[in-house]
Amino acid sequence: MSSLGELQRLGSSTAGPPRKRDNRAAFFFLSPWFAGLVLITAGPVAASFVLGFTDYNLIQPPEFNGLENFQRMLHDERLHHALGVTFTYVFVSVPLQLAFALGLALLLDRGMRGLAFYRSVFYLPSLLGTSVAIAVLWRQIFGADGLFNQVLGWFGVQGQSWISDPGTALSTLIVLNVWTFGAPMVIFLAGLRQIPVMYYEAAAVDGASKARQFRSITLPLLSPIIFFNLVLQIIHAFQSFTQAFVVSGGTGGPSDSTMFYTLYLYQRGFHSFDMGYASALAWLLLVIIAIFTAINFWASKRWVFYDD
Amino acid sequence: MKRFTRREALIVAAAGAALAACGGNGGGNANGEISGDQVTLRFTWWGSDARHKRTQQVIDAFTKAHPNITIKGEFKDWNGYWDALATTVAANDAPDIIQMDELYLASYAERGALLDLKTADKHLTTTDFDAKALATGAIDGKQYAIPTGLAAYSFVVNTDLLDKYKVTVPDDATWSWDDLKTVADQVSKASGGKVTGTQSLGFDIGGVNIWARQHGAALYSPEGKVVIPPDLLASFWQYQVDLAKGGMAPQASVSVERAGAPLDQSGTATNASAFGSWWNSQLTSLAAASGQKLKLLKLPGEAQASSAGGYYKPSMFWSISSRSKQPAEAALFVDFLANSQEAADIMLTDRGVPANTKIRSALVPKLTDTDKAAAEYLDTIKVGESPRVTPNGASDVEQILKRHTEDVLFARKTPQDAATSFVKELQAAIDAA
Amino acid sequence: MTDLQERVAPVREETPPIRPRSTGSSIVKHAGLILLALVMLYPVLWMVVSSLRPNNEIFRSPGLILGGLRIENYAEGWNSLASPFGHYLINSAIVVLGCVIGNLMSCSLAAYAFARLEFTGKKVLFAIMLGTIMLPIHVIIVPQYILFSQLGWINTFLPLVVPKFLATDAFFVFLMVQFIRGLPRELDEAARIDGAGHPRIFLRVVLPLMVPALATTAIFTFIWTWNDFFSQLIYLTDPDKYTVPVALRSYVDATVSTSWGSMFAMSVVSLLPVFLAFLLGQRFLIKGIATTGIK
Repeated sequence: MSSLGELQRLGSSTAGPPRKRDNRAAFFFLSPWFAGLVLITAGPVAASFVLGFTDYNLIQPPEFNGLENFQRMLHDERLHHALGVTFTYVFVSVPLQLAFALGLALLLDRGMRGLAFYRSVFYLPSLLGTSVAIAVLWRQIFGADGLFNQVLGWFGVQGQSWISDPGTALSTLIVLNVWTFGAPMVIFLAGLRQIPVMYYEAAAVDGASKARQFRSITLPLLSPIIFFNLVLQIIHAFQSFTQAFVVSGGTGGPSDSTMFYTLYLYQRGFHSFDMGYASALAWLLLVIIAIFTAINFWASKRWVFYDD
Repeated sequence: MKRFTRREALIVAAAGAALAACGGNGGGNANGEISGDQVTLRFTWWGSDARHKRTQQVIDAFTKAHPNITIKGEFKDWNGYWDALATTVAANDAPDIIQMDELYLASYAERGALLDLKTADKHLTTTDFDAKALATGAIDGKQYAIPTGLAAYSFVVNTDLLDKYKVTVPDDATWSWDDLKTVADQVSKASGGKVTGTQSLGFDIGGVNIWARQHGAALYSPEGKVVIPPDLLASFWQYQVDLAKGGMAPQASVSVERAGAPLDQSGTATNASAFGSWWNSQLTSLAAASGQKLKLLKLPGEAQASSAGGYYKPSMFWSISSRSKQPAEAALFVDFLANSQEAADIMLTDRGVPANTKIRSALVPKLTDTDKAAAEYLDTIKVGESPRVTPNGASDVEQILKRHTEDVLFARKTPQDAATSFVKELQAAIDAA
Repeated sequence: MTDLQERVAPVREETPPIRPRSTGSSIVKHAGLILLALVMLYPVLWMVVSSLRPNNEIFRSPGLILGGLRIENYAEGWNSLASPFGHYLINSAIVVLGCVIGNLMSCSLAAYAFARLEFTGKKVLFAIMLGTIMLPIHVIIVPQYILFSQLGWINTFLPLVVPKFLATDAFFVFLMVQFIRGLPRELDEAARIDGAGHPRIFLRVVLPLMVPALATTAIFTFIWTWNDFFSQLIYLTDPDKYTVPVALRSYVDATVSTSWGSMFAMSVVSLLPVFLAFLLGQRFLIKGIATTGIK
């Protein structure tokens, strides 16, 4: 379903010894995962797939309605709008957040003074990222009486409520996502740890500049981790729910301007008792995410460097 | 993937069977004898920590009198409450006693999730309830829910602010919607824009109901069709646009922010607006947050209206799951919640001014000043028949309304377009259910 | 093993900069970082300040200036739900502990297989694994609730913890796969030549080398489980079983006056364990063992 190129590489990764299948060992290592897949994941996933072809209001038993849910998607203007919002969010917030995370991870990695302090401080917002308090906190920053307007006030600019204007609300959520860059930053930091120092030492002896060291050592050796963060953050951003839910009070407002795909799906399922349609929407999302993931894996052949 | 089809088919069949099984009926006899054995009931509600405390005390009082009945209180926040309720009902694992809201009542009742409480009349009496109030919990002749309390739409005025800006409090026996504009304008001008005259309406369904009723119309027909004339709805939104444009209400983004924020951050609570439309039961909370003198006013336009705009809205309901294994004991507990003075003395007006008239008259002297004012407000206003309960499928109506109000305030839709679109979308939601 | 340890030396524990920087640029850098830190921390500071304000001042006095100190918010918040707040902290701690252990064990096993073993159907299985995180929880939750209620697991911690022991968190499997693939193969080969089987290579070679990935997994599992609201809300019905996020939300009702002071106070309290977990955990990120003597 995804990632053929990458998977081929996975499949042929044993470079050293003669090709030998480790099926028995693999079964042993994967047995917990198999058990989870069969016992816990498969049933509900299959059920949601079936429900996609039904009219199901959660209270009465589902009734098959064929492809009706999928036909409905074609004419559902709010769905198309939600797709637009979600794509904008994914394409703006993911690169921004990753750039921020990588930049700070690089700054913080070289044994500098106060490293632990900065790392903790920069991670702290991520601890709050999905808390119920975030709704109030974000209003304190981007609301009419928020910090942002106070700063604008110093320059004589009369602000508005940025979280409640349909033109700017999505941007404040993008800022919120960037603000919680702690998770990818920590993963980058852990990845940087794995790069042997001797490479840098050797490069320094050869007189390579910092920029060149970054290009020739850091980037290639960190590429599996950059790739990981990219894949997961894109999946994550497509599924983004909690922040929009909390900040907009569950509405996706104002004027649907923060109506993310999953939020729309949730509203259809739980507010409108239309779980059949919500399930169909979920499977469309899965297909969209799978396509993007496959493209990512395919493109990764060109830039991700594995030691194996 | 072809290889998988048979196995998939099996899984699918199993999953479908499990879901279908959950539609089954597992309820016991609601008029049966109260069991002498140990019985455990689950009771769920939404609210804030103050309500959780009071409700737990009520539970304790009940179980003291009925030691063989254990009641597990499951408290949630508003949003989480409905997610959890939908999930547990879907899985045939619903709590026995369910706090219900007017928006969701028909959606659950008409799909068979709630017990007709008349079948439990041996344990649960409703004789002390005003018939009109009781009717708000009935659908097609079945009493699915009993109102905990009543609320009425009202205007709240901050008299301290009016004093400060030397604006006289309007006479609420005669004031019109134009008078509201005038007085709001005076406040906005006198404060130099620091305080806006009034909050915008249009973010809860109460305002629309009032507007429609004062013009002899209604949002829904008794059959549950959306019948509000689009022109009338458009005039409601035009009024909001005029308020914002004229500086009598805050600019659009600020109105939207305050409407979406919790009560404590509203214009009324932070003393940033002199007037605001609220449910009368919210007066105490508002006064606590504002710290200034707040007063309930009758709705504008009532004196000029062709029919009374005001009505009693059930603040929330008690209902029982139709699949409860212990409906008789559940009914006994709901009887305690609805009819016992002991319970009422603990809860006070936390779930609205009690709809039980006997309880209400005994309770009023014990209330704080603001609660007393809220209770008395109910008796001073003129009310008509209560509007039809929100139809099955329309539980999302307030979000649809909010979105359209936002579209209008931000000039993304004309009031006329918004009205057409609102009626169409709401009707579609009802038809789909 | 001994020769491995010689080859793999701990490195870069706060090692001094490789080349001394000019103090000027260092000051600029620190000033920039501190400014950024302040901006980023503003909401957190605001929350801490608000947790010390009287309820009706929280939304009326802007900024961070504290008029009067109201520590009672903490005592009141601690006691304002059915059980003392500590009860919910303990529940959360139990769930979190189970999830961390589960994820560390099951995900590392699965990751080793995907990163280092050659087996039939690997591509398909890997794709399925990634696929499992692509469906939003909202359409899974109802069938899953039915499944767990058939098992009698509702209102226990089992629906939250058991799946973690079965590697259902594909995020961490993938994370570890990427880390393992970053480790030099020569180390495995050396061990294999010494006669070690896969279990031994996994335990003795790979696991010690992926401490940063394990620490990352542990920290993130801790934080995400600690903050996860939806599944804990759905599966834990009895308030005795409530966890911190479920308890925290039940302070707030948008239609009435809310004890914001209590809510913020308990938010601060519930932030402390995760922050401590991060502070402790990050030392393992730092102490990561990088491969030096090899190549």
